[in-house]
Amino acid sequence: MKAWHIGLIGAAVLVLAGVPWYGSDVLIQFGINALLLAVLAQGWNIIGGYTGYASFGNSVFYGLGAYGVAIAMVQWHLPFEVGMVFGVVLAVVFAVLLGIPVLRLKGHYFAIATLALSQVMAAIVSNIPLAGQNIGLVLPPLNNDRLFYELSLGLLVIATLTIFWLTRSRFGFGLIAIRENEEGAAVMGVNTTLYKVMAFALSGIFSALAGGIHAYWITFLDPDSAFDISLNVKMIIMAVFGGAGTVLGPIVGALSLSAISEFLSSEVTSIAGLFFGIVIVAAVVLMPRGLADMFRRFRKTGWRYFSENIRAHRL
Amino acid sequence: MDLLAQILVNGTLLGGLYAVMALGLALVWGVLNIVNLAHGAFIMLGAYVSWHLYTYLHIDPFLGLPITAVVMFALGYALQRGLLNLIVRAPMFNTLLITFGLEVVLTYLAQLAFSADFRTINPPYAGNSLQWGPVVLPVARLGAFCMAIVLTLGMWLFLLHTRLGRAIRATAQNLVAARLYGVEPRHLYAVTFAIGIALAGAAGGLYGTVSQINPYIGASLTAKSFAIAIIGGLDNPLGVIVGGLFLGIVESLTTLYIGPTFADVASFGILVLVLIVRPTGLLGKTA
Repeated sequence: MKAWHIGLIGAAVLVLAGVPWYGSDVLIQFGINALLLAVLAQGWNIIGGYTGYASFGNSVFYGLGAYGVAIAMVQWHLPFEVGMVFGVVLAVVFAVLLGIPVLRLKGHYFAIATLALSQVMAAIVSNIPLAGQNIGLVLPPLNNDRLFYELSLGLLVIATLTIFWLTRSRFGFGLIAIRENEEGAAVMGVNTTLYKVMAFALSGIFSALAGGIHAYWITFLDPDSAFDISLNVKMIIMAVFGGAGTVLGPIVGALSLSAISEFLSSEVTSIAGLFFGIVIVAAVVLMPRGLADMFRRFRKTGWRYFSENIRAHRL
Repeated sequence: MDLLAQILVNGTLLGGLYAVMALGLALVWGVLNIVNLAHGAFIMLGAYVSWHLYTYLHIDPFLGLPITAVVMFALGYALQRGLLNLIVRAPMFNTLLITFGLEVVLTYLAQLAFSADFRTINPPYAGNSLQWGPVVLPVARLGAFCMAIVLTLGMWLFLLHTRLGRAIRATAQNLVAARLYGVEPRHLYAVTFAIGIALAGAAGGLYGTVSQINPYIGASLTAKSFAIAIIGGLDNPLGVIVGGLFLGIVESLTTLYIGPTFADVASFGILVLVLIVRPTGLLGKTA
């Protein structure tokens, strides 16, 4: 990475950090949502982008983090920070206990098993009195959007630095080796089980922290919204749209898609959801390796980039 | 004891319907290696087609099933030929995303076209039931069960004994070899997907006679279909019947003895367990 890259990114972070001082309330609230989605996309990037395991269960971590904060604050009257730690502990325990059997599955089977996990969790939590069953929990309100915004931005910076570290660490190379050829990685001495579980847990920690902040911010939590499968697909499509397996791709994907979606839902409400579906379909067909890859190759190939992608994968 | 017998019968009737829901999913997955996350949305659309046929043209939902199936067949053929064939050779992950995108598009289009209200297909005999010893058999559920069994067995015979069925099975085993023997893959893929979607549509028509429909039922029906297809195994339509009956009975028993909200926990819990212990399905071949 060149010096002017670092300078540019530093400037972007400063501009983003200043938003609460010069932006409108609407912009700050949009920002909190978009930044938290970017954290989720980055979290998914660790297990999906770098390790190559298409997790449809990261929304479970998000839900556990949200419930960790809610249970600690509402039922036990503990401070927010303790709730965040509690949520992270729940997510790590879940990642280790269920990760070991589930991460043995490959391809479609892994995706479907994780898809089912979030449904199981929603059903289980809606029967636990401590978690407020079906009704959910109402957290004490804290009207401080500036704080929530900076927390979300800070979390995104930490998640991104972690991924940057991954790309140049032994651990990260191990994950990429697993993605490219798992048997080969094992032969080369990578402890694949340990690496996969650690990647799953690390991805879970960031998702849980995002869930905790979101729960305290909107002050209301129920099983259906906490373990929402469409949230999981959102984080995947944002990561893939920007470029899964790259450091900045998921952020670009999350911020650009959030902005377009926000613009559309303010213009025509019912079209925003439809738009999301169409973007997913079009992106998978036309630029399956994301914006990052498109920018890199578009300069050389021009509009043929899209037709070449189609030609590569069609029957 | 009478109650248990009634529950087992209810579970069996439900299970037959579940089987036909999962049949198309298993076919598309087994032959085309496409895991269709939009499967439930196609079931939902089939239910709406049947609802419109019954409400506006007064066609009995059971007699209207062939029309529903033909409409859904056409939709399935067009989607595979025009869209999904473009990504068949892409990594597995892209097919998951594109079918999820389709699910979102179909759900929102259905919401725009049909509104979010609950609908039911209510033929005059919907409330009738037969008495069989201590057990009550609702006519609509019994009819749906019988149709489901007919469709599943028909599917099995079709795959085993017709030219097209053989071509489909040959493609599932080896695409390159099948192509050498004169199979046109683009057309065959489209036909296979279309058959899967026609079955999903028929299942939706049957579902609409026993349950309420709205644009959002798709996601949970997709998940149920996965559970059934995986429990039964993908190789064999008879496995899907076993998976459907198993899940129907388990859900009915769980609803009675533990509580209705645990029915989903039971079915998904079993799905996860089967995936972990025996990913080729209870009846599937060992890998």
